[in-house]
Amino acid sequence: MSATDCEEQQTGWGILEELPGDPMIWVLIFSEFAAFGLFLGAFAIAHAIHPAMFASGQAMLDSHLAGINTIVLVTSGWVAARGARAARASERRAARRWLLGAMALGGVFIAVKLAEYAGEIARGVGLETSPFFTLYFLLTGFHLLHVGLGIVILAVVCRRANAVSVETGTAFWHMVDLVWIVMFPIIYLVR
Amino acid sequence: MWPDRLDATWIALIGLAIATILVPSLVSRAPVANAVVLGLAAIKGRQIVLDYLDLRAAPALWRGLVSAWVLIVVLFAWLAQAVVALI
Repeated sequence: MSATDCEEQQTGWGILEELPGDPMIWVLIFSEFAAFGLFLGAFAIAHAIHPAMFASGQAMLDSHLAGINTIVLVTSGWVAARGARAARASERRAARRWLLGAMALGGVFIAVKLAEYAGEIARGVGLETSPFFTLYFLLTGFHLLHVGLGIVILAVVCRRANAVSVETGTAFWHMVDLVWIVMFPIIYLVR
Repeated sequence: MWPDRLDATWIALIGLAIATILVPSLVSRAPVANAVVLGLAAIKGRQIVLDYLDLRAAPALWRGLVSAWVLIVVLFAWLAQAVVALI
């Protein structure tokens, strides 16, 4: 048995190993894409069936706060990507600093989203107000949970700060970013 | 000094995010506005796939698969509204 065969047997992830980070995170990422894709598809169909209800629901949302959160999240993605680059160059201190920055911006995203929810609840909106708000709170709440989970994952990989760990954590973070980029116009802007 | 690719991507994403926020107030026709904001989302998604997720150098299968997810979701949302507008 050659050294390459032996190595392949030890890792066993096949073509998933060609992706950055630990292949296991990509199994999770693809399952998250499937789940969010189905949710967003359901939202788009419900919007097409009930255009008036969705228009009145959208009018009660704060798209400017959501827009600010888009800027916050794409900036945190850039900071996290910088962290991965530093980790690949074995600059662990720098990688940790970048990751802390990404986590802080994730915290800003959560704070802005909670402020948005507070404003909506103050305007008398809740989970059972209409099917629009049920889907809105479920979709954005599910995404918000992923932001929180992403911060925890970044905090875990921050300790070791080696290339594979940081690439693993930042891959999840970018998935959260990518989902928001698609979710923002579908929920807030498409009329 | 020119920014490197990652920095340029971030600057582009900020610009595209601001453009996305402004579209509904600048474009009154809903079908056009929908197409523009969803098109901008697809462009932003592609940039994140290539430069944040760092799949630019990854095999085409993975790059294509993640980009296809963005495109399918965005196209589905656009088609759902376009069909309703036509009925």
